[in-house]
Amino acid sequence: MDTRSPRAPRRAVLGAIAAATLAAARSAAAQTDAEWLRVVAAARKEGRMTLYTSGVGSTFHKDVGRLFEQKYGIRFEVLEARASELRERIRSEQVAGRFLGDVHHNGATTTALMLADGNFQPHGGIPNAARLLPAYVADDVRVPSNVQSYGLLVNRNLVKPGEAPRSWKDLLDPRWKGRILSDDLRALGGGSVFFFVMHDAFGPDFHERLAAQNLVFSRDIRNDERRVARGEFPIYIPQLLPYFTQLKGLPVDFIVPQEGRPYVRFDLAVLRNAPNPNAARLFIHHFLDVESQLVYANAGFDPTMQGVVDRASLEVRALLDTKVMGTTVVERQNAMLELAKRIYK
Amino acid sequence: MLARRTLALAALGLLLSFLSVYPMAMLLYGSLHSTPPGMAGEFNLAGYRALFERDNLQVMWNTVGISLAKTVLSMALAVLLAWIVARTDTPGRGTLEVLITLPFFIPPILTATAWGMLGNPQVGSINLAWTWLTGAEKPLVNVFSWGGVVWHMMQYSTPFLFLFIVDAFRAMDPALEESSRMAGASRTRTFFGITLALMLPVTTSAFILSFIRGIESFESPVFFGTPAKIEVMTTKIYHLIHHQSQPQYQAATALAFAAMALMFLLVVWQWRVLGGRSFSTVTGKGYSPNVMRLGRLRWLTFGICVTFFLLTVALPVGQLLLSSFFQFFGFYQRDMLTLDHYRNVWASREVWRALGNTMLLGLMGATATMVLGGIVAYVAGRTRWRGRRLIDALAWLPWLMPGMVLGIGFLWGFAMLPGWMPLYGTLWALLLAYVALATPVAVRVMTSAYAQLSFDLEECSRVHGASWWQTLWRILVALAWPAFAVGWVLAFFGIMRELSASILLYSAGTEVLSVVMLKMWSGGKPEEVSVIGLFMMVLVLVFRWLQLVLIRRRISTL
Repeated sequence: MDTRSPRAPRRAVLGAIAAATLAAARSAAAQTDAEWLRVVAAARKEGRMTLYTSGVGSTFHKDVGRLFEQKYGIRFEVLEARASELRERIRSEQVAGRFLGDVHHNGATTTALMLADGNFQPHGGIPNAARLLPAYVADDVRVPSNVQSYGLLVNRNLVKPGEAPRSWKDLLDPRWKGRILSDDLRALGGGSVFFFVMHDAFGPDFHERLAAQNLVFSRDIRNDERRVARGEFPIYIPQLLPYFTQLKGLPVDFIVPQEGRPYVRFDLAVLRNAPNPNAARLFIHHFLDVESQLVYANAGFDPTMQGVVDRASLEVRALLDTKVMGTTVVERQNAMLELAKRIYK
Repeated sequence: MLARRTLALAALGLLLSFLSVYPMAMLLYGSLHSTPPGMAGEFNLAGYRALFERDNLQVMWNTVGISLAKTVLSMALAVLLAWIVARTDTPGRGTLEVLITLPFFIPPILTATAWGMLGNPQVGSINLAWTWLTGAEKPLVNVFSWGGVVWHMMQYSTPFLFLFIVDAFRAMDPALEESSRMAGASRTRTFFGITLALMLPVTTSAFILSFIRGIESFESPVFFGTPAKIEVMTTKIYHLIHHQSQPQYQAATALAFAAMALMFLLVVWQWRVLGGRSFSTVTGKGYSPNVMRLGRLRWLTFGICVTFFLLTVALPVGQLLLSSFFQFFGFYQRDMLTLDHYRNVWASREVWRALGNTMLLGLMGATATMVLGGIVAYVAGRTRWRGRRLIDALAWLPWLMPGMVLGIGFLWGFAMLPGWMPLYGTLWALLLAYVALATPVAVRVMTSAYAQLSFDLEECSRVHGASWWQTLWRILVALAWPAFAVGWVLAFFGIMRELSASILLYSAGTEVLSVVMLKMWSGGKPEEVSVIGLFMMVLVLVFRWLQLVLIRRRISTL
């Protein structure tokens, strides 16, 4: 029986993160080319690798997986489930001693909670991690893989160019009352990220006033984009940038307000007792290769590696060059969800 | 003989317990423990105490109100449609029967999307047409409302109820109705006093199943209720599990058990209503189904069926079909015409693999479910064996638990099995979960069918020297065959659509169609989901056509 605390208290999360960071420095220093070649050979011998990802329906990890298969001849398998389902599934499997997955790919917050629950093992060193952008730091367990960010989606037939919000605060303009479609700000996901970041930037007063705008909540994110495009609502918040890039041809614009884009980092980690630990390590290394990172960058994700944005398509680069604004912090997430429930009744 | 029977009953009880009690026990543990199985925590009643908070009481009230409204309305409509198809000379009844059942087989998320486009108050096609025609400023319909939730649910419950009722109407010996008419009762009085009264086992079973399904319904309230701030039990459970930084399994499972207790009371009520009364309408005497001649009124009944079809199938499916040929759902511009969605689905390795898995699981699962359901229904309804009530109750259990919660019970249950039972992560785990989930419907279908068969048929067979198995096969199975076929189709398509357990039990390589459709939907490809939905509808048409042909052939040889 696993006896770890289920609540992942703040001390446990911080402790786990600190230990992982220290160990990362040691393992990176110990890495040599010869050692890595042995890892690659062992990975080929293992012959397969299973990714557990919360990117349900995303094609990008599959593209990265195909490149991995072509490059190393190692079979790539993937299991997709929503973040909470994935977490519970991994927990149940590990408690029962069934270790089926190799690499975990999920948002940084869920990954931090799972780190505290002991769901991962040290990766043993990833050569490509040395070329991560300074803003993203890998530790002994977690490796930042990609970043998804949010802006505003507006219907250009309903919102004249001069009227489009330039600041997040422009959403408080009375003209938008009852006309903003929104992800549920009281629920985990893009809505809670938006709530968190706006709260930290503008204080609770911003949300009190935004609640008075009578936002219409919906959780069917992919359909909500279309509802705005069809003219049901002029504005949708918060719009995921990678999803916007798939709406080419529809009468919608993506707006990055002057304060910037809220964002969420995604991490890769090797699952505890992974059946193919070398292939897992090699896959993480491969995920940070420029060609893999370009798959994500061209789709609108911020890459975590150096030298990638410059090679992305011009259209996407213009958006990725805008500034990022802030993100969530695992230790305050519950408090923020509670506050959101109180404000947006 | 007694020892063999006891042994067989024990084996049946064990199998049903494994399929229903075992995952439920896991969930009960989850509702009484502060953490899920395998994690340190404490036993407490916090989850159950939270049920009495005002928010939760409101949620329960909404749930019961919506489900009751949709079940009553659907039942009235389904009885009318079933009567028209089975007992009147309305033109084109065979075709109408297939068409009326179609909505049940369309993935709810697709019709929800279609109705979102048809009936939203701002730019919905119906409202645009209304304002253009009348010059009105206010919209005619708003699907994002209480009524919208009920309407969308009705599109599924009406054909579901219809499927239950239509064969019972058909299998009814009209002698009793004729006696009523000869005794001077009017047509209306005969219909309500004899026809409907004889249908009581079927209608109450179907009503309860549909009411429970309404309580467990997720897509309609999440799609049309959430924007209108209407919360029901399933959306609350979903919120507790998926929208918290730490999933609240204790609160979610406690809420599910509260719903289950309510539903169990309903089932007990049904047992009491039907207990000790005879509803046999199929006896050893020959009869020919009585068809009422409606004269010119038959065009009215025809119109009612066609209107139902137009509203629930033609409108939303037409929208899906149209959209499947355009780059984006709902954008009908010439430069966006494409066959890419069909090409993508055709070329997808994942779709073909999932289709293979789903067909295999559907065929095996539906057959196993109907065999199990037939046996359980026989034991519960046609014998006086000790323990028969327990067997019936065990088979009911999975129906009383919302799918998304039961899925977690299966995950916990299969993952925690000892190492020598390696079910987890295999197709077998999915098969067992599907059998457990579909058995309650199979039992209800077969119980209702058996209830219409007179005991003298069995007695006659035994008196003439037939063995128990021969009697079961040659009399009961032969006469209940149309119901078996209906149950099989319901189970097959129930399996095809099942998502809650599938998403938690599938593994790399054992994907099923519902999981692939969820992935496509989440990946922003509703057009490709439409293509698969349309394919499923073609499959339904083929299955239903085959079923009706076989039933007719069978009936003509009886």
